[in-house]
Amino acid sequence: MGNYQNMRATNQNVNGVNLKLLNAAIRFNALMLGLTAGTLAAVIIYVATHASISKWGSDSGNYLGLLAIFFPGYSVTSNGAWVGAFWAFVYAGTGSALSYRLYGRVLGTRIADILLSTVSTENPVLKPSVLRLHGISLGLAIGTIAALGLFFSTGWLVVRGTADESVHAALFSNYIPGYSVSILGGLWGAMELFALVFIACILLATVYNRIVEMRHKQS
Amino acid sequence: MNRPVRDHEILSAVFAKMDVPAMSIAAGVVCSLLLFLATATLLLQAVPQDYPVGPHLRDLAVYLPGYQVSWLGAIFGAFYGFLVGAVAGFAAAVYWNLTHYVALGVMLISSAELAD
Repeated sequence: MGNYQNMRATNQNVNGVNLKLLNAAIRFNALMLGLTAGTLAAVIIYVATHASISKWGSDSGNYLGLLAIFFPGYSVTSNGAWVGAFWAFVYAGTGSALSYRLYGRVLGTRIADILLSTVSTENPVLKPSVLRLHGISLGLAIGTIAALGLFFSTGWLVVRGTADESVHAALFSNYIPGYSVSILGGLWGAMELFALVFIACILLATVYNRIVEMRHKQS
Repeated sequence: MNRPVRDHEILSAVFAKMDVPAMSIAAGVVCSLLLFLATATLLLQAVPQDYPVGPHLRDLAVYLPGYQVSWLGAIFGAFYGFLVGAVAGFAAAVYWNLTHYVALGVMLISSAELAD
């Protein structure tokens, strides 16, 4: 916190608009990521619903139909696919945008040092640099959102009174030992999921950055 | 680390493009490992004899032909995981770059209109 305030003071002394620009930059990219992830999630749900319908016809929807618990109005039908796409866009878009806000907040004023693989160009608009990922910040951001997601979805199952019938959600305990469809189980599961996502993000960032370094060595 | 961040560096970070092949491969590797470990975790758990192992995960075969909850299936799963992850990573990177180009285009047009 002290370090952040020092950087904040440094930037404000050097150039008062930097922090404003930085915050605007983070907001802008959060919106872009929200649009990207929201659209992809919507397409995936739409395609998965139609794949299920074409495979099983009127018998479809055994597992996908369970999404209706979280996607009000969703069903494995042609119309339901649009409803599912809408909710997927809302959930994935919001989650991703929040993740980026958190990611940008963790990176703080180091954003340019960390995210740029090549020396920043004088014309960032027409000649963009290549993005790098910061595994720890990414893990903290996505891990937090995933953990909150698991905790609140478990909480929702408890609140609506179907915790005992949620046999599919309980299967998470195969991968998250100690998880159960209860508030305490959800809390424990959230912590473990955070750790798993954190590790996955570090792996993703490491592989991505290594390939970027190899491909842009000459730049 | 405490050097002042210049405006064009922040803009560079905002408009930096994602490396599409790198994101495709990285997402592929992560998904491949996830599906392999998801299968392996079930296989390593002690279950009574003749008890079905992973009946729910096995249903992935609907979308991933040939996949099953076995060690061979785990290798199949790793292969499919890589494909699915790579496609998702590719789509995400392309879409990320595209939205930035579009946003940039809108900004340039707006600023040109303001200048007029």
